[in-house]
Amino acid sequence: MRRAKSLRHAALLLLPLLLACAAPALAGELAVIVSARSPVTALRADQVAAIFLGQSARFPDGVEAVPLDQRLGAPLRDEFYLRVTNKTPPLLKAWWSKMVFTGRGQPPAEAADSAAVRRRVADNPDMIGYVDRAALDASVRAVLVVQ
Amino acid sequence: MQHPIRGHHLTATLLALCLAASAHAEDGMGTSPNLSISGFGTAGLVHSSERHADFTSSVLKNKGAGASRRWSADVDSRLGLQLDLALHKRWSAVLQLVSEQDLDDRYRPRVEWANVKYQATPELALRIGRMALPMFLAAEYRKVGYIYPWVRPPVEGYGALPFTSGDGVDASYRWGAGAVRNMSQVFYGHADVALGGPLRAYGRRISGLANTSDWGALSVRASLIGAEATTALGSELFDAFAAFGPQGAALGRRYAIDHKRISVASIGFNYDPGRWFAMAEASRTRSQSLLGATRAVYASAGWRQGAFTPYVTWSRVRAAGPTSDAGLPLDGLPPALAGQAAALNGALDSVLATIPQQTSGSAGLRWDLRANMAAKLQYDRVTPRGGSRGTLINQTPGFASGRTAHVVSVALDFVY
Repeated sequence: MRRAKSLRHAALLLLPLLLACAAPALAGELAVIVSARSPVTALRADQVAAIFLGQSARFPDGVEAVPLDQRLGAPLRDEFYLRVTNKTPPLLKAWWSKMVFTGRGQPPAEAADSAAVRRRVADNPDMIGYVDRAALDASVRAVLVVQ
Repeated sequence: MQHPIRGHHLTATLLALCLAASAHAEDGMGTSPNLSISGFGTAGLVHSSERHADFTSSVLKNKGAGASRRWSADVDSRLGLQLDLALHKRWSAVLQLVSEQDLDDRYRPRVEWANVKYQATPELALRIGRMALPMFLAAEYRKVGYIYPWVRPPVEGYGALPFTSGDGVDASYRWGAGAVRNMSQVFYGHADVALGGPLRAYGRRISGLANTSDWGALSVRASLIGAEATTALGSELFDAFAAFGPQGAALGRRYAIDHKRISVASIGFNYDPGRWFAMAEASRTRSQSLLGATRAVYASAGWRQGAFTPYVTWSRVRAAGPTSDAGLPLDGLPPALAGQAAALNGALDSVLATIPQQTSGSAGLRWDLRANMAAKLQYDRVTPRGGSRGTLINQTPGFASGRTAHVVSVALDFVY
C-alpha cells in the first residue's frame, strides 16, 4: 500500500516535468480548420472523427465535407488520429483497409505539411484539415482545438 | 457453359461502362480518372494434432492440416489484388482478384469483385456487378487478415459459408439518428461457386439486408440474407434413393439441394475504444436440405499493449435440426435390396453428420510489425461434437467426433 502511494506521489511530482518535456515533441496544439469562407464555426471531436474516418460526408449543417490529411508518417497526423479517433497508426491502417477492401471508400487526400494543408483548405470551402496551431492565419478558421 | 459466358458478359459490360464513364470524365467533368492499386495477403502455416481429419478455414478448401499433412500452408495463405478506378466525383469501379486454395487444390485467381459504383449523393451509393454479400460482422473483409486481430474469423460461423460474393445490384445508405451513425444496405442478385471438378453451386434470387450502427466505440451489425440454392452435390445418392419408390423419392425431395431456400441471419457487436476490444456475434442458418439448420455464436476480447495484442476467443456451432434420419424402412424388403437400402441410409447419415457441431477455444497474439504488416500466433482447441465432424474435412475411418484437435497457426498478414 505504502509503496503504491509513494509511487503515486512520485508520479504526481514528475507529471509537470513530463508534460513540459513532452510539449515540444508534440508540437503544441492541433487546430482543425476550414476555410474562412466556410459557414462552419465549431465542430465536436466526434463530428471531426466521423468526417476523417469516412463515416460522414457532410458538415452538421449539411454542406459536403472533404477531409485533407497530413502526409503519412507525419507526427502531427499520428497525434491527430490518436487524440480525435483513439486510433494508433496500425489501427488506422486496419480501419482504412476495412473501408477500401469492402468498397466503402478511400482514405483522404494528403498534403505535404501544415502550410500546404492551410493553403488548400483556405481555397476550398468544402475542405477540412488539421494543422499545427502555430500555422493558423486569417485565411482559415479553427473549428476545434485539440489540446 | 451458360455461366462462364455470363461472367465474360459481366466483365465486358463493366469494361464498357468504365470506358464510357472515363470518356465522359475526360470531357471536362472535373477530376481526371485516378487508378489506385492495393492488395492484401496472408502467408500462413497451420499444424493440427488430429490425424484423421483436416482442419481448414472454409468449406471451399480441398485440404488442410491434420490428415492430409501435419503442417499446411493452404489453410490461411492467400493473395489479393484490388484496382480502384475513380472516374469522376460520382462514378468509380473496383476489381478484386483473390488467389487461394480452392476445392480443386489449385490457386486460380478468382474475380471476387468487379463492380461499378454510382455515388448518387454523399449518403446513397448504388453498385452493379460482383460484390461482397452483406452478411455477418466480418464476412465482407474476412479474406483480409490484417483487418482483424485473429489468424482467421471463427470457423464455426464463417467457415461454412459457400457464397462470399454475388452478381447483382445493391444500394447502401448512410443516415444519422442523433449520435448514432447508420449504414443500411440492400442486395439482390445471384451467385455461382465452383465445388471442385464439374460440380457447381448456384444461389439464385439472393436478397440481403444489413444494417451497421456506430455509436462512439460501439458498432452493431445485423444482417439477413436468403437465397434459393441448387447444386448436384449428393444427387447420385438421391437418385439411388428414388429407385426405391415414393419413400425414397421423398427423402430426395427433403435433403437434395435443389431449388431450396436457405437463409442466414446474424447479429453482432464490436466495442473498440482503442486500448482493448470485445466483440460477439450470433447467427442462425436455416435450410430444408442436407445443409441442415445451425446456430453459431462466438465471443472474443483482446487488449493492445504497444505493438502486441493478445486475445482470446470462444466459439460454438450447433445443429438446430435433426442430424440423422431413419431413412428407408428395411422391413419387408428382399435381403439384397435391404442391404442396398441400409447402405444408402448409412450414406445419408454420413452426409448429415457433416452438419457442423463444434466448440472451440482460442488464444493468440497479434504483433504489429509495421503499419501495414502483422504477425500472428494462435492456438485453437477444436472439438467436434454430437457425432459431427464439425468444420473438419477429409475425415478418415479412424475419425471420432468428440476428440479435441489442438491446432497451432502462424500467419503474416499484410496490406499494400
